[in-house]
Amino acid sequence: MKPAWFLAVALWACAPAASADPLWQDDLNWLKTMVVAARQTDYSGIFVYQYDNHVETFHISHVIDHEGEHSRLNGMDGARREIIRKNDQVWCYLGDGKAKRVGRSGDRRFPAILPEQLSLLNENYQIKQTEEGRVAGFHAHAVVFKPRDVLRYGHRMWAHSDSGLLLKAEVLDERGRVIEQNTFTTLTLGGNVDRSWINANRLDSAPPDQAAHLEDPPEVESLAGASGWQVGLLPPGFKKVIEMRRPLRGKKGPATHMVFSDGMASISVFIETLDGDRDGGHPGLSSRGAMQVYSKVSGDYLLTVVGEVPPRTVMQVADSVRYSGQ
Amino acid sequence: MKQQVSALMDGELFDDEAEALLDKLKHNPGADGEWRTYHLIGDVLRHPDHAYPGIGTAVRERLQAEPTVLAPGRRTGHNARWFALSAAASVMGLALVAWMSLQVGSEPPSQMAMLQQPIAVRPASLPGNKGMSDYLMAHHEFSPRADVQGTASYIRTVADQ
Repeated sequence: MKPAWFLAVALWACAPAASADPLWQDDLNWLKTMVVAARQTDYSGIFVYQYDNHVETFHISHVIDHEGEHSRLNGMDGARREIIRKNDQVWCYLGDGKAKRVGRSGDRRFPAILPEQLSLLNENYQIKQTEEGRVAGFHAHAVVFKPRDVLRYGHRMWAHSDSGLLLKAEVLDERGRVIEQNTFTTLTLGGNVDRSWINANRLDSAPPDQAAHLEDPPEVESLAGASGWQVGLLPPGFKKVIEMRRPLRGKKGPATHMVFSDGMASISVFIETLDGDRDGGHPGLSSRGAMQVYSKVSGDYLLTVVGEVPPRTVMQVADSVRYSGQ
Repeated sequence: MKQQVSALMDGELFDDEAEALLDKLKHNPGADGEWRTYHLIGDVLRHPDHAYPGIGTAVRERLQAEPTVLAPGRRTGHNARWFALSAAASVMGLALVAWMSLQVGSEPPSQMAMLQQPIAVRPASLPGNKGMSDYLMAHHEFSPRADVQGTASYIRTVADQ
């Protein structure tokens, strides 16, 4: 009797450990596949962005050729808004007819997810493949990122079952309600994707009048914590990714920019000196779907905190920024 | 089942799993005891200093040792004058309610509808792309979402208002 009882207890104790690991690996594999698919799949389709009662439609294409990755995001409503990306160079056209080149640090973009990011994700979210369904006519698997506290939002991502391409992304608040979603409504995968726009939109062959408006990307100077600015009450789970000094358009002096990430969401802190040409703007909290912007004037400085996190998180960060340098 | 109860208490279950388990607990009379035992185990593990075995017996013994008070309680009764006053107040109250309902009833319906709307405190929506787009674009450069979502993740930075 006794050995049998002992065996039962031992089995009971081992069961969760034995089953948890492969399951966790499986859920994680979905994420890895999604990151690779986002880089290496040819696709084009109509993409809908929705939050509150706001709906907007975009056309999106992504093509791989001998030069690398080409991608275009094109707003279909209202004024012209277009993003064109070639590998790690990005151009942005807004309604004013000007194109601007947006700098992008190429060295941190890998076609795979980094181990540090995975361990951060695991600390802050429970990742689980939950259900299967159809998105834009394709069979998809849903992967849920359930936050371990209320300082961040939850995410449900629907990945194409065959390629792993992200078909639909939902951001969930603490009660599980969808506060923002991005989803394909129609999608073409593979070789039939239209490639004519790649050369038509090349900026080196852009008409002179347009080229004249082309602004150079802002010079970004990387700092290793030398600015002396600190976030006293950084929400748990967030780690500093980078700190730099960068110019912001239309502003005289450069701003200090710090970025923090919990593996899924990120928070940016901008610190600018208030002078003649900066009047503090519109202090307070403003939001767009999952994106929050909170700015406040503190002494001679304007603090702006941007992040796809709940309002309390950006406010906690902004309220605890302090200068501890010389 | 036991494992699940323990996982639920540690907050490791997903919402749908938690709901299913709570349902099961509701319909299973024996599970109630299990639930309590698990909480007791958790409490004792967290605060071993606060665990007193046989606390029920100890309290009962102390209660039995307490002397019984035999003094009569104070009589409570209404004074006739107070009764008259409170009756008058009730009549006035009724009249006030009747008058108020007449007043409210004559309000235009649109105003009524406005009053019934819940008052929600909402942050202002982001001002147009002017001024804000630089912050959003700079922020986006380091957003981990771009890894999963590719170029579509730029939507937030260029979305219209």
